[in-house]
Amino acid sequence: MAFQPKTPSRHRSRSEAKTPLTPSLLTGLNAISFASPTKAGGKGSDLTNPFFTNNVNASRSSSPVKRASGSINVSDSLQKQANTADAANRDEAGSEEVEVATNMDDVAANLDMMSLNTQSSSPGHTARLAAATGVPLNRRILSYHEAPPPSASDSMLSQQRELVRPLYGRPGALPTSTSTSTKTRKISTQPERVLDAPGIVDDFYLNLLSWSCQNVLAVALAESSYVWKADTGEVTQLGEAPEGTYISAVDFANDGNFLGVGVGTGEVELWDVETQKKLRTMTGHSSQVACLSWNQHVLSSGCGDGSIWHHDVRVAKHKVGELLGHQGEVCGLKWRSDGELLASGGNDNVVNVWDGRIGDVGAAGSRGAARWTKRNHTAAVKAVAWCPWQPSLLASGGGTNDATVHIWNTTTGARLHSLTTPSQVTSIQWSPHRKEFLTTHGFPTNALMIHAYPSMERVVEIRDAHDSRVLWSTLSPAGDVVCTGAGDENLKFWRVWEVPKVKKGKEVKEAGRGSTSSNILSIR
Amino acid sequence: MCASLVVLILWLLSILFQRGVYPADDFHMVKKYGQTVLVTQDLALENYLEKILAQMNKWLLTGSVTQIVLAIISKDSRTTMERWVFDINVVQQPAIDAPAPAKPESEIQAEIRNILKQIVSTVTFLPVIDEPTVFNILAYTSESADIPANEWVDTDPLAIEAGKSQQVKLRSFSTDVHRIEAMVAYRYEG
Repeated sequence: MAFQPKTPSRHRSRSEAKTPLTPSLLTGLNAISFASPTKAGGKGSDLTNPFFTNNVNASRSSSPVKRASGSINVSDSLQKQANTADAANRDEAGSEEVEVATNMDDVAANLDMMSLNTQSSSPGHTARLAAATGVPLNRRILSYHEAPPPSASDSMLSQQRELVRPLYGRPGALPTSTSTSTKTRKISTQPERVLDAPGIVDDFYLNLLSWSCQNVLAVALAESSYVWKADTGEVTQLGEAPEGTYISAVDFANDGNFLGVGVGTGEVELWDVETQKKLRTMTGHSSQVACLSWNQHVLSSGCGDGSIWHHDVRVAKHKVGELLGHQGEVCGLKWRSDGELLASGGNDNVVNVWDGRIGDVGAAGSRGAARWTKRNHTAAVKAVAWCPWQPSLLASGGGTNDATVHIWNTTTGARLHSLTTPSQVTSIQWSPHRKEFLTTHGFPTNALMIHAYPSMERVVEIRDAHDSRVLWSTLSPAGDVVCTGAGDENLKFWRVWEVPKVKKGKEVKEAGRGSTSSNILSIR
Repeated sequence: MCASLVVLILWLLSILFQRGVYPADDFHMVKKYGQTVLVTQDLALENYLEKILAQMNKWLLTGSVTQIVLAIISKDSRTTMERWVFDINVVQQPAIDAPAPAKPESEIQAEIRNILKQIVSTVTFLPVIDEPTVFNILAYTSESADIPANEWVDTDPLAIEAGKSQQVKLRSFSTDVHRIEAMVAYRYEG
């Protein structure tokens, strides 16, 4: 070809085997000569990185002195321009050279990052270049022939994990309260005793535990009710629910002789604990009776349809009152120990406090109206508890969406305190001897917590008290042990409070129980 | 295994984790060297690193590697985003079998701890990488180095253009045999 003789000798020597090169092929060679042969095909960087394109080749393959002559071919266009032998074009080519020269600083900065292809140019020239740029020659840049493997984990999966992480997350445990009261006593975070409760129904709305003043614990396991004598550890099956239904609530009468049992079909049964006989069945409710509360001879029952009935267990016409104030299922029901007030919580997020005075037996319109109604909770109110040492105090706790405990003054109807907890409040127990109350919680903490009143400071938190949500709790008559039940089919006994020391040793419990029951008697 | 290689592994893994080259799911924490270190759960990556590091080990012991570079490259545009450079200086001519480091264990552990801590802290000044990235490990070896054929190939330095690069020197690490100086260069325009 016409331009062939014009190709500098350096180029010819480099590509002797391929002497008859077309211009396009030559430029192609220029472009790829820098990269290693194996990588050349796949390497995009030669094209994207301006420093590794033709300019770099030029700077590498020729010394600056030689390039100053202006006869160097750098690119295809330059070559063509050179071929025309036009003086003006030569000037242009010269200016391009100057630009290359100004880029030399940058190139030099990058030179130490590069390997020098010593085979392609004369050893003498390479040595001179190496000396001029201060780059050691005996260096190679190597990389492993395989590309690193892509991540094997599914990006979609990891994204989904990211999204559900908050659901698994548990709020961080708060530092334990530093009040002096906690320092003086240690609360065991281990249960004192664990009882197996096979088949206990894992239902938030039921109330399946009750501890009588005679130190007898009643528990309903599906359709059977059992009593466990805490003193002897003796277990007796009390009775069974009618065929095809289950027990939804149990509650001991205040004297501990009778057990009220609510069943899924709406009947309320009365059992004699001593003789283990069913005394009567009181019908009338249209759906499940999930909570019961005694006030002397009156057994109040909260029904799935939102009604609360008073049953006088002594008379044949048992229904002596009806309280209508809940739109949803009544899931918490507690008489104040003096029988003046009845507190109820419902699945409609409402807390009602009712006047306890019941009209004459048989009076047609003996329907009460709530003394006051509170709608502060944002979830079902299952936990309601009257304070034993300050009768006007009522604590109520909301479900999952709410997880808040409110303390009410029932005389004025004022909300005195509120406490946000990490998870749903399933029950509240006030300590009879201390200014504290215990709350039990559901998922995710499954915890027992003790709070001081009125500071609302957390005294202790026992996380993962059960393997699943803690649903029920009941306080021993002595006021020292709390029994909790959960869907994990365990009943656990926690000694969280002490009975004030009256006597030492084994008699303490007896004395404590005696004093508690005498309290109840005196209140009556 | 050469002590400096152990450190290099920790270094590389924690960079791959911190810079998000591999998702966090691929790593898990292991108690090691008196602290929690990251270990990859990705078998393919583990094998890959093992192959590379086995060769590095040989080079380190013969003193023929002068620099190891971990380049983090954009997956799509193939431009180099970050270049983690480990300069390896041979303190003394090593014997063929690795001499046990005479440095007290506690001191080495403290150094490892500091190095890993510093890598975590680099996240604060390094630009956030939004795009998916891959990495490449380069070894700068002497011409005379023993190179297994077909496994290691001459390559581009994957440099970041001088005008667009910022460099930060990191902590160094030294054993009786090697002194490793670390440096990170990252693309920064603006």
